Amino acid sequence: MRVGDPDAFAELFDECARAVYNHAFRLTADWSAAKDVMATTFMEAWRRRDTVDAEGGTLRPWLLGIATNVARSHHRGDRRYRAAASAAAAAMEDVEDHAEATAGRVDDRRTLQATLTALSLLKRPEREVLTLCLHEGMAYAEAARVLGIPVGTVRSRLSRARGRLRRLTDAQLLREKREPTPANRQTQDDRGCAVRSAQEGNR
Amino acid sequence: MNASPSHQPHPAEWTETQSLLPRVERDLPAGRHQFHKEQLMARIHEDLRTTTRPDPPKRRTNPFLRRTVLLPAAALALAGAVAGGFALSSGDPHGGRTALATGPALTTTVGAADAEGAPRLLDRISLAAADTTTPTPREGQYIYIESKVASTYTSSVGDTTSVVSEELHPRQVWNSLDGKDGWLIEPGQTGDEGVTLASEVVMSGAYDVLATLPTDPDALLRRIYRESDATRDHEVPRDQAAFVAIGDLLSESYPPAGVSAALYKAAAKIPGVVAVDDAVDATGRHGVAIAREDDTGERTEWIFDKKTLRFLGERVVVVKAVEDSPFEVGTVVFTSAITQRAVVDANKQVPGGAS
Repeated sequence: MRVGDPDAFAELFDECARAVYNHAFRLTADWSAAKDVMATTFMEAWRRRDTVDAEGGTLRPWLLGIATNVARSHHRGDRRYRAAASAAAAAMEDVEDHAEATAGRVDDRRTLQATLTALSLLKRPEREVLTLCLHEGMAYAEAARVLGIPVGTVRSRLSRARGRLRRLTDAQLLREKREPTPANRQTQDDRGCAVRSAQEGNR
Repeated sequence: MNASPSHQPHPAEWTETQSLLPRVERDLPAGRHQFHKEQLMARIHEDLRTTTRPDPPKRRTNPFLRRTVLLPAAALALAGAVAGGFALSSGDPHGGRTALATGPALTTTVGAADAEGAPRLLDRISLAAADTTTPTPREGQYIYIESKVASTYTSSVGDTTSVVSEELHPRQVWNSLDGKDGWLIEPGQTGDEGVTLASEVVMSGAYDVLATLPTDPDALLRRIYRESDATRDHEVPRDQAAFVAIGDLLSESYPPAGVSAALYKAAAKIPGVVAVDDAVDATGRHGVAIAREDDTGERTEWIFDKKTLRFLGERVVVVKAVEDSPFEVGTVVFTSAITQRAVVDANKQVPGGAS
């Protein structure tokens, strides 16, 4: 990869294009922008191939870090993100009016709308750590590395993001879109961070 | 849609946050994965050869790049030709590749569009299609389609941007009945030997798929919209995407007569479809056309013989001036003419050869 093997990049693209595209969507709330971010990310990755860790391992976090940076140029402010999220949600409604969507697609649409609504209530830095850690399953230390911020900052941003999201539980919008409370639902304390940190130590 | 990622499980405590922030993923719009991959690879090969890093060329979206079969060849050709500055012949890393000459942009006279005449013309085309005899291939056989094609694109050399067209060149495509295997030879775009089209992603115009389509036009149209909505590029308006999807099923494929007839009847129900009094296919055959203009001033035309109403080919023409676009009205963005359709016994076998 570091030496610029084209086949390695082709493989990387096949493996990660979809993930980068969806990550970019969560950060921009705009499918079209997400496509641009995805394309630019791989071009950037190629240009910055010498920044890959020599020891190897999966390149996905590195790539998502680049994508996060690229995506920043696509949304300059929370208001704009909210506008894009509303537009994306409205576009989904629009398709719904015309098409005979299956039950599964309706579910996906609702879930996506709920996700957008939730994400649009966060600030950009919170959105970034949340999508990396929650959607992409990155450890705190890894997210910190790809974002170039201290681990403590990742943790505090996440904690704030989760706090904000938790306040949403009573919001009408989410309640009507989610199934009744799952039986295995966890209590709302902050042990998540502690468990998470322990796990992070194993990596 | 995929559920959660498999590479690292979430701690149980995250379940609550996850229920607030569920994971839904989408695939890239049809054809986009391959398109962007090839742009990336063209850039990489170019960088490796020159060791300088020029800005990536700006090119406009070719509507045909959405197509499964056309995509690998066309995207490679455009990305490769533009990024490589036409240096395809010598020092090319792929070897065995015949360079494709380019010339001034192809232009045409824009035919007059008639919205009211479209249903009537499509009705006649449908009747003519129903009246033809199409072969019923046996398991293991391949559909062979030969055509002549050319694309137009913007080329940047230094600070100068110009619009150029490829020379008209042959294109040969083989597809297995299930649409999972095939071969493509297109000079300048694939190597001289061609490339495999083997893929787990079934080609939309695969014979087996076509043969199972409903022949009731309304049911067929519903299905086309449903499938197109699921995969279309969201920048493309819905009706245009459906129209192009039908064109894909009709052009580089060999549908049973009844299915072709139904596809034409379904197309007649799409808003914005027009009849065009005169259109020319890639080999110069004049005919009438069924067409639809998209929101960027480009019109996709299916061209038919005036008398027999047989499908001759397909092209995309700029019919409206767009601000800042180097493409003038009358530019032919893409053109194709089907020259042969046949059923053959094996991949890469040419009709009339070994049997």
